[in-house]
Amino acid sequence: MSGTLLYIEDDPQIAGPVARDLRDRGYAVRWLQTGERAVEEADGCHLAILDVMLPGLDGFTVGQRLKKCFPGVPILMLSARTSIDDKLQGLEFADDYLTKPFHPDELAARIGVLLRRSGSVSAAPLSLKHLTVYEEENRIALTESGEEIPLTGKQFQIFFYLLRHLGQIMTKEQIYEAVWGEPYMEGDKTLMVHIRYLREKLEKDPAAPEIIETVRGIGYRIKA
Amino acid sequence: MIRRNGTRGRNPGFRRSLLSRYLLIIVIAVLFLPVIFPLSLIIYTLSDHYHWTSGNTADETKKAFKPYSNIAELEKMWHKEARLLAGKSDREIGARLKALGDRYQYASMFWVNGEGMTRLALPPEKKSGSEAGADNGATGGTDNGATGRTDGTDIGAAVPARWTALQAIAFMKDSVGSDPLTVVAFIGDRADAGEGFMAMRVPKSVLPRNTGSVPLALYGLMLLVLLAFAAISWLFFAGIRGRLLRLQTAMTLDGRDGLPAAIPKGKPDEIGMLEEAFNTMVAELKDSRRREREEEELRKRLIADLSHDLRTPLTVVRSHLFQVGKEPLSPQGKESLNLMDERIADLGVLIDNLLNYNLLASGRVKLSPGRQDVLRLLRESAAAWYPVWTKEGMEVDIELEGEPLVWEVDEIWFRRVLDNLYQNVVRHAKGGGYVGVAAEDRGGVRTVVIRDRGKGLGEASPAKGAGIGLAIVDMLLSRMGLAWTADSDPEGTSVCIYPKDRG
Repeated sequence: MSGTLLYIEDDPQIAGPVARDLRDRGYAVRWLQTGERAVEEADGCHLAILDVMLPGLDGFTVGQRLKKCFPGVPILMLSARTSIDDKLQGLEFADDYLTKPFHPDELAARIGVLLRRSGSVSAAPLSLKHLTVYEEENRIALTESGEEIPLTGKQFQIFFYLLRHLGQIMTKEQIYEAVWGEPYMEGDKTLMVHIRYLREKLEKDPAAPEIIETVRGIGYRIKA
Repeated sequence: MIRRNGTRGRNPGFRRSLLSRYLLIIVIAVLFLPVIFPLSLIIYTLSDHYHWTSGNTADETKKAFKPYSNIAELEKMWHKEARLLAGKSDREIGARLKALGDRYQYASMFWVNGEGMTRLALPPEKKSGSEAGADNGATGGTDNGATGRTDGTDIGAAVPARWTALQAIAFMKDSVGSDPLTVVAFIGDRADAGEGFMAMRVPKSVLPRNTGSVPLALYGLMLLVLLAFAAISWLFFAGIRGRLLRLQTAMTLDGRDGLPAAIPKGKPDEIGMLEEAFNTMVAELKDSRRREREEEELRKRLIADLSHDLRTPLTVVRSHLFQVGKEPLSPQGKESLNLMDERIADLGVLIDNLLNYNLLASGRVKLSPGRQDVLRLLRESAAAWYPVWTKEGMEVDIELEGEPLVWEVDEIWFRRVLDNLYQNVVRHAKGGGYVGVAAEDRGGVRTVVIRDRGKGLGEASPAKGAGIGLAIVDMLLSRMGLAWTADSDPEGTSVCIYPKDRG
């Protein structure tokens, strides 16, 4: 995945290797050591990565300003402040909160999820086993034949909800409440039935699904 | 050491106290009762005197009424005269009675001889004011003994010419307490003398009022005083009650900051002092709450800064290790890098746990428990940990079906409990290759069970020596009204979480 990232981190010993790694992964990185010019530099960026403890304006203030000016740009807080209060304060405007010391792979994975969820980066068609998913066109096709697979409204919503959280396991409650917009009642088989029909359309062998994985006792996920 | 301030324990002064005010009411009441008796008697006597002395001829009337001013003396005189007339002739008796008639001009008199014949009937020579209108003004006397006739104009209707025994008895009986006052005496002042009797009738209007019995006005006055005392007492206590209720209301109502609001300053008595003490207490509480908040903020800031200062160098090391990992390295080099990376991650968790433990142990963390479906939280938490478990090659067994399991927990901190327990499994029991999360019925109570097949905690008590992560678990669960046990043996460990009050 590509895109332009605004990265605000005052410590060059951290920012150096992180920015280098992100560039290695195909992103353009605009690194700032303070938040003073964050709003100007954020123009044209697809995601902002913010440290909290910055000289001058702190990360919370900078994040709030960015969210106000660019509400569509996801913000990832990257902080050594780990208290619940800090996380809650950060998540009032930020889309994700990652604590230091983080693993660069985890950072890259979270950036990928946020960019996919926001839809701000023109993603290349996603290849899932025998399927090709055109996210921007909301279209799924068989890779070999190019034949498009039509989905019903609910099937489409379930599939793309799982796709927005690619690799993450989503519980039955989370999926049901996101798609149907009402609380999930234990024992309700509606979701299971829809998943079965969805598999019949997407999977080569619905009895041994490869696209939508069932995680027993928890929920479902689309494995990256 | 107890610090006294301007209000605490201060005496309002006896003069301003409620005690002195109530004592004043009592004293006035007590003093007033002995005063009211003579006072009312004086008033009554004065009014009686006024009654006697009212009119244009006050002095003359007063003089004329004087012989009647003492009823006892009047009766005594009449009996004495009767005694002196013992054995006297009819003429002598008649003359003496006439003389008495002249002296007691407002009184009528008659004499009945031993044979029951009325021998003399003397009407009053003068009429009192109240009788004047009803009287014809007859002043003449009749000496039945001398003239042989009886003039019944004034008293004739009540005095028969001849008395039977029954008439005499009825007269005697009626004369007691009658109006006019009737004084009867046997001639010789003895009934067995057989010389008849003589009677004198004095209208009550010329007699003094009977002061022996308490008049209605006096009762009324006393009742009024008692009612006034009761009303003043009631008002006094109603005032106290109203102020105490106001104070009670102020004490029970919470203001914006969860503390009672101060109340307006009242009178400088005991309740006023109590109100002032209450206001002082509220002010001190507010001050204390403010200091507490400031300390809490300072502590949190210090911990946040410390966390930052510890984590920043770890982040630097980890980032650079990752870069080093991209360079060509020997297998031993890569293994060392992985080990360092894992330890850095562990160190990050340890710092987090230390700081959280500090906050929790100091009681600075405020939990917000609410009714939560714990199974849902368990599923979401397991979903987050699932990739970690599978990456470590562990078998994952989730059994969280069934009706929602609703407990009063703080969602964020309950997730923290689960994170610590799962972290423990990954750090200490991944060798067992198994993690299980289930909701089971144990002794009639639905219990959350987290199992692993590690080598066991090696300690009987879950909190003791089980690491700071489990100490946090212990504190958090306890504060959420939950209990937990860890059954550990070389085959593995089962951590059970259940409500404290399961009996």
